[in-house]
Amino acid sequence: MPKTSLQDATALRDETMLRRVRHLGSARDGLKEWQVQRWTALALIPLGLFFTISMLSLARSEQMTAAAWLGSPVPALLTILFLAALFGHAVVGLRSVFDDYVHTRTRLIAADLLVRALAIILGGAAVLAVLKLFLGR
Amino acid sequence: MERPLSPFMFPVWYRFQIGSVLSILHRLTGIALTVGSILLTWWLVAVAAGGGLFAATHAFIASPIGTLLLFLWSAAFYYHLCSGIRHLAWDAGYGFEIRTANCNGYAVLAATALLTVITWLYVLL
Repeated sequence: MPKTSLQDATALRDETMLRRVRHLGSARDGLKEWQVQRWTALALIPLGLFFTISMLSLARSEQMTAAAWLGSPVPALLTILFLAALFGHAVVGLRSVFDDYVHTRTRLIAADLLVRALAIILGGAAVLAVLKLFLGR
Repeated sequence: MERPLSPFMFPVWYRFQIGSVLSILHRLTGIALTVGSILLTWWLVAVAAGGGLFAATHAFIASPIGTLLLFLWSAAFYYHLCSGIRHLAWDAGYGFEIRTANCNGYAVLAATALLTVITWLYVLL
């Protein structure tokens, strides 16, 4: 392994600092969204399959049947986990689409904020619905 | 300067390639599923609320348009799932050879059709 002299290290640091000041350098958190996208994707393989098949079977059934299913412990837990992974995955996914097609910084931030707010509201409402059925059994 | 951007390149300048079509489909189904999650939330809230809201939701789901939406949603889900697994394999460093990528591209389409049909047979029968 080559040794860096003190002078080299200083030069490297100065260059990194300058790049960061000029917004050219790495912010060192760029990998976070990439990771969130992958981890939620992995979680959604079993959770998505579970929820999709259950939901499609229940979608045409009566309210009592659907409520009884959603209110029982295991489906309630898995549905809440599914919703968390789903909305997290959707936020990161839509952001990556916006990154490619929305070229104005202001619009990009506005679109991202809107999607995040909607995801929190929808996710909150959906989780609350499941909790109501679970707690009200 | 106005430069052509990728979506406008697609129909005119590019010949058909399975890779690019699947890539665009992955994004489109992702967006569609996100929009679908609004309906999903609506259904969950309707089940929790019961009464008139559930009756209206139930009538909509049972209607031809509702059933069609549900079918399209499930097809989009299975496509995004299979294509997503293909993406995860790439992330792990597998399947980059053109021949392999083309083959498993068609496999994704076949698996989507198969899973959608099996699920609906299970749901309806």
